[in-house]
Amino acid sequence: MFELEVARKHIISDPKMVLFTVLAVALAIGVIVVMMGINEGYKTDLVNSLVENNPHLTISPKENEDYITLYRTLSAMVWSYPQVDAVSPRLLGKAGAKHKDKVRGVNFIGADPLREDSLMKVQKDMVWGNYSDLVFKKRAAVIGTKLADELELRPGQQFTLALRNKSVSLKVVGLIRTGTGSDETLVYIPLDLAQELSDQPDVVSQVAVRLSDIYAAPAIASSLNSRFRYRAESWQEQNKDVLQVMDTQKVILYIFYGLIFVIAGFGVANTMIMTVTRRTKEIGILIAMGATRRSIVKIFLTESLILGPPAAFFGCVLAYATARLIEAYPVQLPSDVYMVSRLTVLLTPQTFALAVVFALAVNLLAGLYPAYKASRLDPVEAIASE
Amino acid sequence: MSDDIIVLKDLSKIYGNGVQVRALDGINLNIETGEFVAIVGPSGSGKSTLLNMIGLLDTPSSGQIFLKGIDVSRASAGERAHLRNRELGFVFQYHHLIPEFSALENVMMPMLIAGKEKAEAQETARELLVSVGLEERLSNKPNQLSGGQNQRVAVARALANGPSIVIGDELTGNLDTKSSDLIYNLLRELNRKINQTFILVTHDMTLAEKTDRILRIVDGKLVCELRRKGDLFIASEACELGEDGGKIKRS
Ligand SMILES: Nc1ncnc2c1ncn2[C@@H]1O[C@H](COP(=O)(O)OP(=O)(O)OP(=O)(O)O)[C@@H](O)[C@H]1O
Ligand SMILES: [Mg+2]
Repeated sequence: MFELEVARKHIISDPKMVLFTVLAVALAIGVIVVMMGINEGYKTDLVNSLVENNPHLTISPKENEDYITLYRTLSAMVWSYPQVDAVSPRLLGKAGAKHKDKVRGVNFIGADPLREDSLMKVQKDMVWGNYSDLVFKKRAAVIGTKLADELELRPGQQFTLALRNKSVSLKVVGLIRTGTGSDETLVYIPLDLAQELSDQPDVVSQVAVRLSDIYAAPAIASSLNSRFRYRAESWQEQNKDVLQVMDTQKVILYIFYGLIFVIAGFGVANTMIMTVTRRTKEIGILIAMGATRRSIVKIFLTESLILGPPAAFFGCVLAYATARLIEAYPVQLPSDVYMVSRLTVLLTPQTFALAVVFALAVNLLAGLYPAYKASRLDPVEAIASE
Repeated sequence: MSDDIIVLKDLSKIYGNGVQVRALDGINLNIETGEFVAIVGPSGSGKSTLLNMIGLLDTPSSGQIFLKGIDVSRASAGERAHLRNRELGFVFQYHHLIPEFSALENVMMPMLIAGKEKAEAQETARELLVSVGLEERLSNKPNQLSGGQNQRVAVARALANGPSIVIGDELTGNLDTKSSDLIYNLLRELNRKINQTFILVTHDMTLAEKTDRILRIVDGKLVCELRRKGDLFIASEACELGEDGGKIKRS
């Protein structure tokens, strides 16, 4: 392998070319890895936010029916799936909340507090009070922090919840902050109170399920749908639009990566062409000494490829440093637009592996043309060149 | 005929598409194994072109080239590269050593191209450099050597794979008489010892007159041939003597 030897000599003797090639590719890799990390981080945060603030699976009444009557039987059936962590039959509805002269429209969730807590981890999001108080206190509610602010309600105070011609007076026993828009409208009440208020004894409007494996949701949903006429829907199905936007964004990102790839490629190709031009005479001599055209291609491709791994390494270091910097100075996002409140950069081993592949690909592709050019040189002209 | 290492048949080279330059015009030539040949002629007469043809660096427009009986004008690029590596050694006017490589590494290069072991190539290269009197300069780079020393490295490199033919284009053109003589004596010794064939293009008639056979080319044609007979040269009919200094006697 004299080609390797020659390529090695070229690299050692030309630090400027090495610097520019490695720098161009390392910068490109840095940008791409950080972009990938931001996208990956955002996606993870978004999915986390989706599965934390929504049931992983919801089962709605049969078609043409408004309520599920046999919800206890249905719950038992659902429990037969091994991935099920929690099942909570709920009665949802809209109502008006009134305190002094303030009135707000709210979404109430009537549920068994213990079941609902294992479903939605309600207590974790509570900033004041105990969700389990609803087990003992019949006329009580846990409400969103923003709703409390708007109604000028303080913990322990009473407010009126009105549905059609019924109304009850409830004591605020807890405040909840999820960080999402529901903080303005959410009211948790006991299930039997919700049934009483809606005039629907012993029914629910949905059975909500929490799974240990969130990605099993679509399969379980379709299994349930084939067994019952109740309509089961996974969280992915419910958030189809948001997830679709993520996919579209991914396409745009890949186009962006492609552009960076091309720019870096031109940078590398340019330095390689300069190298070949500078070594024209030497190439002529090598050909005169019996080096084949294939050997010439090998020399310059090797030269370009050897610079791939260091470029990948420095690119990854750069990306890692940038990611650290972004995390150290957290970038706040408006959560009503992005659904997550903070920019995080998630760097996975796959991202770094991709960076290495990227570096080698850029150097290979950008090296091809100069190497080919070098191999096509006419030895007589090359040797005579100055 | 069987002893002819190089046979050129009606060899022509035409350059250019629009204005055509006939650099070589119907050259017929046989060179025997072990001959020491000089090619002379005015500037632009086609000497380098002829040498590049023999060295398989260029292809003829018409005619044939036989190297050891093989028609190399029809050989594939790979075969030609192989022949250049094993059968031919080049020395040019400027040494054309690779600047980043030491003298030793430059001489090793043809052997590495041939696929020889590094250690073996290194040993052979060392021996060659010793034989050209550069045993103290093995690890010097070209810019740390004088012109004459570099040219000696280039000669050692041309000899690396033990080629049957060594060709030189003005290889002493840039050297003083002393260095020039040194290199000539070196080549001559090899020629005598291992019967290597040498073909040198030169402007230097003193050097040409030390060879066995002088070919004179004018306007792409072989116009005159002088063969050594003892201390004298026997000229062919077409030679117009006097032009080159008149030292050559018609016999
Ligand atoms: N690549 C080329 N394209 C066009 N014409 C060329 C080319 N190479 C050589 N020639 C022409 O062919 C002729 C022979 O050139 P060549 O280099 O063989 O001359 P030479 O005898 O070696 O001259 P010198 O003694 O000056 O080196 C010249 O007229 C030259 O201009
Ligand atoms: Mg010439």
